[in-house]
Formats: sequence, structure tokens, C-alpha cells
Amino acid sequence: MKYFGTTVADIFNTMPKRFKPEEAKDVDIVIGYEATGPGGGKWKATIKHGTLKVETVEGELEGCNTMIQADAETFVGVTLGKITAIDALTNQKLRVVGDVKLLMTLLPKVFIPYSIIPEKKEVTARDILSTVRDRFRADKAAGVIMSFGYDLAGEGGGQWSIIIKDGQCTVKEGLEDNLNVKMTMDASTYVGMMTGTLDAVTAFTSGKVKIDGDMMAAGATAKYFNKYVDPNAQEAEELLSLKVVTSVGMRFATGPVMGKWFAGLKEKKLLANVCPSCKRTQIPPREICAFCHVRAGEYKELGPEGTVNNYDVVYYASPDPLTGVVRDTPYAGIFVVLDGATPEDAFSFELKKEDIPRLKKGVRVRPVWAEKPKGHFSDILYFEIIS
Amino acid sequence: MARKRVAICAVAQHKNDSDLWHKRFQNMLLDVLEDLQEKAAFTFGGKKGVNQIVSASDDFFDARTISNNGVTDVIGAQYLAEEKMAQEGLNALGYAAAIILSGHKDLVLVMGHSKESQSESRNMVTNLGFDPFYGRALGLDYLNAAGLQARAYMAKSGLTEEHMAQIVARASQWAAKNPYANMQQALDPGKVQASPMLCDPIRQLHAYPISDGSVGMLLASEDRAKEFTDKPVWITGFANCMDTFFFGDRDLTSNFALKKAAERAYKTAGIKDPKKSVDVVEVMDCYAYQQPMWMEGLGFCADGEGARFIEDNGPGRYKVNLSGGTLAGNPLVISGLYRAAEATLQLKGEAGDHQVPAAKCALAHSTNGPAGQFHSVLILEG
Amino acid sequence: MKKHRKNRNVAITGIGQTALSSHKEDQNQVEMVHEAVRSALEDAKLTLDDIDCVVHGNMELFEMQFQPDMWHALGSGAYGKDEYRITTGGTTGATVVCAADNLVASGMYETVLAIGFEKLQEANTTGGITNMADPLWFRHLQTGALTATTATEMIEEFGEKRARRAAMKYRIMMDKHAMLNHRAHRRLGLEYEQMEDLMKNSPQLVGELRLIHMCSQSDGACAMIFTSEDSVKKKGTAQPPVWIRDHETSHREETMSNLFGFKKPKMTHRDCAEKLFKRNGIKDPVEYFDVFEMYDPSAWWAVDWLREFFLLKADEHLQLLESGAFDLDGKCPINPSGGVIASNPIGATAMLRPAEAAMQIRGDAGPHQIKKNVQHALASGFGGTLWTVLIMLEKDLNW
Repeated sequence: MKYFGTTVADIFNTMPKRFKPEEAKDVDIVIGYEATGPGGGKWKATIKHGTLKVETVEGELEGCNTMIQADAETFVGVTLGKITAIDALTNQKLRVVGDVKLLMTLLPKVFIPYSIIPEKKEVTARDILSTVRDRFRADKAAGVIMSFGYDLAGEGGGQWSIIIKDGQCTVKEGLEDNLNVKMTMDASTYVGMMTGTLDAVTAFTSGKVKIDGDMMAAGATAKYFNKYVDPNAQEAEELLSLKVVTSVGMRFATGPVMGKWFAGLKEKKLLANVCPSCKRTQIPPREICAFCHVRAGEYKELGPEGTVNNYDVVYYASPDPLTGVVRDTPYAGIFVVLDGATPEDAFSFELKKEDIPRLKKGVRVRPVWAEKPKGHFSDILYFEIIS
Repeated sequence: MARKRVAICAVAQHKNDSDLWHKRFQNMLLDVLEDLQEKAAFTFGGKKGVNQIVSASDDFFDARTISNNGVTDVIGAQYLAEEKMAQEGLNALGYAAAIILSGHKDLVLVMGHSKESQSESRNMVTNLGFDPFYGRALGLDYLNAAGLQARAYMAKSGLTEEHMAQIVARASQWAAKNPYANMQQALDPGKVQASPMLCDPIRQLHAYPISDGSVGMLLASEDRAKEFTDKPVWITGFANCMDTFFFGDRDLTSNFALKKAAERAYKTAGIKDPKKSVDVVEVMDCYAYQQPMWMEGLGFCADGEGARFIEDNGPGRYKVNLSGGTLAGNPLVISGLYRAAEATLQLKGEAGDHQVPAAKCALAHSTNGPAGQFHSVLILEG
Repeated sequence: MKKHRKNRNVAITGIGQTALSSHKEDQNQVEMVHEAVRSALEDAKLTLDDIDCVVHGNMELFEMQFQPDMWHALGSGAYGKDEYRITTGGTTGATVVCAADNLVASGMYETVLAIGFEKLQEANTTGGITNMADPLWFRHLQTGALTATTATEMIEEFGEKRARRAAMKYRIMMDKHAMLNHRAHRRLGLEYEQMEDLMKNSPQLVGELRLIHMCSQSDGACAMIFTSEDSVKKKGTAQPPVWIRDHETSHREETMSNLFGFKKPKMTHRDCAEKLFKRNGIKDPVEYFDVFEMYDPSAWWAVDWLREFFLLKADEHLQLLESGAFDLDGKCPINPSGGVIASNPIGATAMLRPAEAAMQIRGDAGPHQIKKNVQHALASGFGGTLWTVLIMLEKDLNW
């Protein structure tokens, strides 16, 4: 059963030759695929130590770390890029049991993308000559009386005459009498020139084309006809695309207020500054209190402990734009109101991974510091739940 | 009902500096805000306070998506309307004036910031202003674009190295009197001419120094101006104009966009001959050749007469860039705000050492885009 | 109480957009902008000669094009004209509409063309959003624009079942509207029967924020033409004019964590609504408005913000949602276009909200047109660190 011009099976049959072992050195995974409906089936791909084994499965898909399920049409469509993966995942036509991230990162890395190789049909001289009348430009041939012949040798060859008279164009097999010019060449040379793969001037100059009769007439033929378009040629124009990574180095200033924040971190202190007007504790410290429009005042150490009021457990991580690294998921960001802070002013940071199962509103947490803080974001390793 | 006018009540400038490494934008802007509040006592919010801020900054020079989002608190925009002019800063004034004239708001704060010292190279930034396939690949940036324009202009006007050295030397002399200018020392013309070639024909000292800065201004409707100042400076005209993009389609010496912007601004301001009506001129001259060229476009001398203008002491006669101009060093994206600030001080009589006596009408100009693709003109009356 | 009045009234007289999709490889930015401009001019039956000024906006650090309006002059129509460029992140499209209103109302210009666009395909979207945060601190924490903190709050306030059903009802409703809007980007064909399945099986992105709840990333451009009342009356218009009655913007500071402390500060959505409705004498916004095109980046935020925008309390917004008040045939339909969840070309998204609202007033939105007479419309923009732009549109000059 074909979808989008190919079958589900073909995707798996071509998997071994599309596999890139050098990209899979550290991979150890078993992926189960189930394509449902007509043309579907079950397959298992085992990637281990840089090798790939693909097998069809008759019964249940067992022993798979990850399973990809879709109806056959969606399966082929997503593989070919005709259906956007995000759409298919969103409306549940494509389901992934296990790590979705895998689909997005691992598979494109270890496999050359599947694509359908179009069947190429060879164009013959006869094909091209059958289009001559359709391409005739009566407006350019007003008052012209001319006949020219093609004597084409080799496979697909033959003899044809083209007669222009009274604004009409006729094509006949065989060579007519009283031709203005006769061009003799290999059929393949003719096809090459007409499809643009062979330069006509070069063909003439190198002797691939022999001209009997009026040289000028031979040259004039082109202007009475529209250019031949090869139906096998790509339908769209080639689209230019430029892929470039743009970067401009930057040196950011902290200024004195943020500088003080980092200096505090170096001493394992979480500093806020206090608004002289509304007394709110801003953390990290700011130059001004946004509500009161006055310069923020003295610094105050908060915490170190605090209460979690809200949090985000992240399952889908965006890659870091600077490094390309995708963090391990899940990871959790917490909003903690540190002891001594004003009630609105929560501080956000990451929670220790192991504590995620215990994370809920109201838990008490404290920061875990790097051994040698240097006045940088990395000085706080994470917050942990106080048991 | 006659159309009401918009006043600039007060201006505050941060001194331009080659490297404000010890301050971040928030510090710079807060210093400017406090300075401004001392000059014109205003508050934020409520019926009487500022309810609209127009910020001016650039995402690329700041290396920050939505470059105004880091400074919202400092510029007073908490629970208030704030809009960022991503064009050169002078346009923030034109837009702020439009907001007041629309009747939506009667008091607007304009706050601009930029640090050219933050990025590895401002040419790398401006290279990104060209289209990805052709202009960028050629390595065009605003500096070599100016070089191309300079070469064409020198051929047209007869402007020479000597003229340019004179222009820069004069700029530095005036800058030395301006506490806000980056350049604080007068330069010898010989030194200018001897400075290394930066981008032929532009020498190092023909180019505006890399600068960090910030400017703040308070604008009010005619009804409210007197609450904040005894000497309101009225915006009587503002216009800008865009030229086309590809250099091959432009006559780089034509001043096409500048002439149109000036024409429209003069018309609104009721100015028939700027030479007669304008007492003080502040043009944005990033490179020496731009001073006489923009003066042509503004109508202070005939086309192609820029060299003659310099020789005849045109800049002296027409009181051009007594602040030192952009040649004294401003960040590209807010240089127009510095020009406007200087023009305003002149009309308020607060220009100190470089005051033009009895100045009644001033012109502030800015330009943006490669080789002056875009120009803005502001007319002020005091 | 003295009604808020501008010096001149301004009408939307032309609306144009490109198709919105994630495959616009056959156009460069200039061509895309130009398509929207042509579309707006055609709609208004005007030419570039009729335009005095162009206002342009997007989020430039996405496409990494410095001062893109310079290059775009080739297609924006700004050549020889005045031009302004205003960029405020996600709210840009709506801000540009406010700017056009300001510029025409000021008397400085008669006819202004506003353009909002984004070509995220030519961008590193995550990079662009992450770059919004302070480079020395907050950037290290950022997870792009994804957060489930609102979902957590709603679940706590209303219970898991009711809260999740509300978010999912909203989501499916949005998709049903998108299915009627041939210009929408993502149209999934969801049915209410799928609610349970989706709530359970849609992959979780962050906490209870699931893939199904989240907005798209699209490419596209929108252009609108604004004309003064004088010109409208003198020269007439090809389309029924839609009047901009009023608008307001509310920003807030960079720090976001102070939204999630024990005490919650006011949201900018409510701040804008309070100011706008008070000075326009609107006591009951749900009654007053016939449609609301709300900028809804996720289904969770959308439901929560309905309470803020309509100045409601407790579970009033859920009651309205559950009773069908926000459906296409309800008292105050929300996002007949399918909203931001269906289409999100960031620089244009916030412009599409007033554009769609205006089309509803004109009555030519297409299959997603609200059947009853639409006189009073509301449109919102969202972006930055939870900033809001709110715009009121009217069919008649009735204030």
C-alpha cells in the first residue's frame, strides 16, 4: 500500500544503508515501530555499539526502550516531512512512548533522512520532436518559408523534416526534398542540446553536428520556437538557502548593584536590596524599585532557607542557544520565598534533580553551594529540600 | 482650534565615554533620570504624572532581545505605557511629539541608551544590517558604506583631506568645551591627517569614537509645559525620510532622503530659508565628510558646495555642532538624542561655554542606515 | 465623567496578510513584507502614493537582521516617505497599531501603513527568546517561553479536574475556530470527544503545560492602513472603516520571579483593562464587547487572563467559559480566528488581533465570521515580561 509515493516497508528496508555507525558509537537502544492500518506492520531497530539490526516483528513488540506508533499514512508522511511531526504529535496521530526528545535528536543524527528517489524517464528525440508544433511561434515566423531536416543516428534516431510556411509549422518523418538545411548528429547529441545538458555551440564547433546547406538557417531555427522544457526536470526553481551562524562577541558590565550580588555569592550570601519606600526586598538586587521609582537602598542578606511557592518541572528542554546542549530532563525550576523576603519577592533557581519527586508547594529548601564560589551563576549548584 | 504645540521641558545627558565598563545600562539610565528629575520635578502615574515612556535602544548593540525589557523599572515604566523606538533616537522625539499631539497623553518621558563598547566590533553589528545573501557576503558595514559615500562626495564637492582635518579639529575644539562630549581634548589638524587610514578615504580620526551614553528628556503638551519649566522649547517641525536600500539604485551624493525630510520639517515649522531662520544647527556627523554633505542636504549651502562651505567658515557662521557633534563621540543609535539635547540647551540659554547668544530656532538632525539611507530632522523654537 | 477623546479620530481602512505557515522558503523577508503591503493596499483600493508614513516592527534579534527596515524599504513602500520603527517584543504588532493611531491622530500624517512580520524559519527561535533574559543571570535559568506556573495556580484554586477541563475546552474551541479560518497555520481538526484523551496523553512540556496547549511558531506578515476621519469623510473608503476608539499599554519590570511569591502583584492585563474601561465608561465588559481577539500564547494563560481582562473574580470566568459565553455564538466570542495557538508569526501576531477584530466589525472575516452584528471589539497584545497592549475598536463613531 503506497502513501506519498512509497511504502512503510521501504523506510525500514533502506534503514541499514542510511545508518551512520560513526554517529552511533555510544548509543544503546531498542526502538519499536508500529504502523497501523493497510500497509503497516511492526519493526524493531536495535542500535548497539555502532551497529544496527532491523527486523520485522510478527507478535508483540517486546524489549523496546522507546515505541513509535502511528497509522501507516502518518508514518510515511512524517518521515518524508509531508506532515509536520509537531502537528502529528499534538493531535495524537503520532504517539511516542518513552523519550520524545529521542525522536528529535537521536534519529536525525544516526540516520540519513529517508527520501524517495524519483524514477527517471529518459527523454527521446521522438519525444522532443513531437512537441515542435506546440512550441512553434507563428508570430516570429510571419512571412517565413523554410524547411530544415534532422538526420539523427544511433539509438532513438531517425529522420524528420520541419516545414514552416504561411504561418504554419508541419513536422514529417523522413527527409523532404529541397530542405534549406540538414543537420546530421547522434540522437543523443540532439537530446542533450535540446534539454540543455549539452552546449549547442560546443556541439557545432567540435564537429558533433554536421550542417549541409544554409548555415544561417541552422542558426535561425531556435527563434521560431519556444524553448523545450524537460518534463523530468525539477518543477520548482532551485531555492537558494544560506545557513550561517552569526555571532558577535560581547562584554557585559554588571554595574555596582549586580556586582554586589555576585560579590555576595562569592561569600555564599543571597543578597537582596531594600526599597526605602515600600521596603520590598528585591532579589537579585535592582538599581531602583519599579513601584516606587526611587533608588533601591541598603543590602540585606536573605535566607538561606526558604519556602517554595510555585515551580516548573520541565520535560521538554530547549537547547542552549550558545552551546547547543540540551539539558537532561526532567529538571525543575522553583520559585522560593526566602526567609526575610517580602511576600511577593520570590527567588527562582533550579532544584536538585533527586528532590523532584518530593517537590510541592510549601516545601522548605536551602541552597547548595559550590565549594569555591567565584561570583558567578554556577556558585549555587542547586536548591535542595530540607528533610 | 489651533493645533497645540509640544514642548521639551528638560533634558539630561550622560557624559559620553569610550568604555563605561563600571556601569550597566540601568546605572546609566538611573543617573540620567535623577538628573532630569532635578531639572523638572515630575512623577510617574496618576493624573499628573508621566504615563508614557518612549525608550530608544537597539537589540543588536545591547545584545538583548527586546533591549528595553531590562530597563523597564529604571525608566519608570512599571504599569505604564512604554514603547521602544528601534530607529535612531531622534525619532523617539518625533514619535513622542505625535503621542502628545494625538491627545492620548500629555506628558511623555524619552529615555535612550546604548553602549558601543560592549560589542567586539560595531562593524560586525552593522554588517548585519545588510541583506544576508549579497551585502553581508561582500563584507559591507556602515563604515565602508560611508567610505564609498565619502569617496563619491569628495569627487563631487572637491572636499579634501585638508578640509576634513579642519572639520575634525574644529569639532574637537568645541567638544573640549562640552562636559558631555567623549572627546575632551582639542586635536591638531596635522594629527588628524596623519592618523592611520581606517577605510579609505576615512581615516581613524575622521570617524566618531566608539562611545557609550544615555539621554533623557521630558516632553509635555502646551497646556502642561509651564508646570515643569520656565523655558519650554517647542517642537515646531519633525520629519524623516527613507531612501532605497541597494547602493546601485542610489546616487550616494544626492542627499535624497535628507532633502525630503528637511523639506517636510521646514514646511511644518514654517521655515522658508533655513539659512535665515535657524540660529543653531546640530547635525549627526559620524564621519568628517558628513558634516558638509548634510549641510548641503539641509539647504545651508548649494549642492556640491560643501568644500567651499568649509573654507568660508560656514560651520562657524551657522553655528554648526558647537557641542562637538557626533564626531566628538556618541553611540550611533542615540546620537540624534544628543543633538536634540544640545539644541534644546542652546534655546534654553543653558549651553554654558558654547552658548549662542539669543538663539531662537535650532535644528537637530540624525541619520541611520548605510550611507545615510535614512534621515530625521527636528526643528525647535525657544 | 469626561470621556477620553483624541484630537482626531482614526480608522482602519485596509487590512492585508500573507498566508501563515512554517514553509515560506520561496520568499525572502522583503517579498513577504511586500505581499502583506500589496494585500492591504488592494483591500483599501489605495496605492503607495496615498501613504504618508510607514510604521514597521518585528523582533529583530530573531532573524538577526540589524535595522531590518532598511533592507525592507525595498518592499515596505517606505521609499521617499516618513518611517518609524517600533519594537516591543511580542506586543510589537499591537504597539505598531497604537503607533499608527497616535501618528494619524496627531495630525502629522493622514494615512499610515503599519507592518508587522516575522520569519522564524530564518531564526534561532530559542536563541531569540533566551536572549531576552539578562545575560549574566536570568539567561542561565531560562527555558524559552515555557512555564506551567499558571496551570499550577489554577489547579490549586479550582481543583485539578475543573481547571484541566477548562484549559482543554478552550484549546479545542480555538482549534474549531482555526478550522474555519483558511489563513490559520495550525488546524488540527480536534473534537470535544478527544478531551479526555488529550488531557491524558498529550506530551507534557513543563508540568501541566502540554504540547496541545502551546502556541505555534509561524512565518508571516500583516499590514494595516490607518486613515484620519477627515480623509475618510472626504474621500470615502473601499471598505467600511473601523474606528480606533482607544488603547492602552502596560509594562512591568524585568524580574519575573516576583510574580510567584506568597502575594501576587496585579497583572498588566487587568491594569490595562481597568484604565481603558474606566475612562470609556464601560462597566460590564463582557456585556459591552461583541468580540475579543485575545493574544493567547497558551490555553492555560488564556483562561486565566479572561478573568483579568474582563475584571472578574473567583471562578466567574470559568462559569462563562463553561456556559458557552465565549463560544462563536456566545455572548462575547473569544478568538474567532483561532488565536495565537493556531498562528504565531511573532512580529505580526499582535497585529493580527486588531486586524481580525476589525474584520469581524466589517463583517468580512469569512467562515469564522460571528453571525450577530459586531459593533464593539477588543483586541490584546502580549509580550516582554508579561506586558499588555489593549485596543478598543468600534463600528461607529459613537463616543
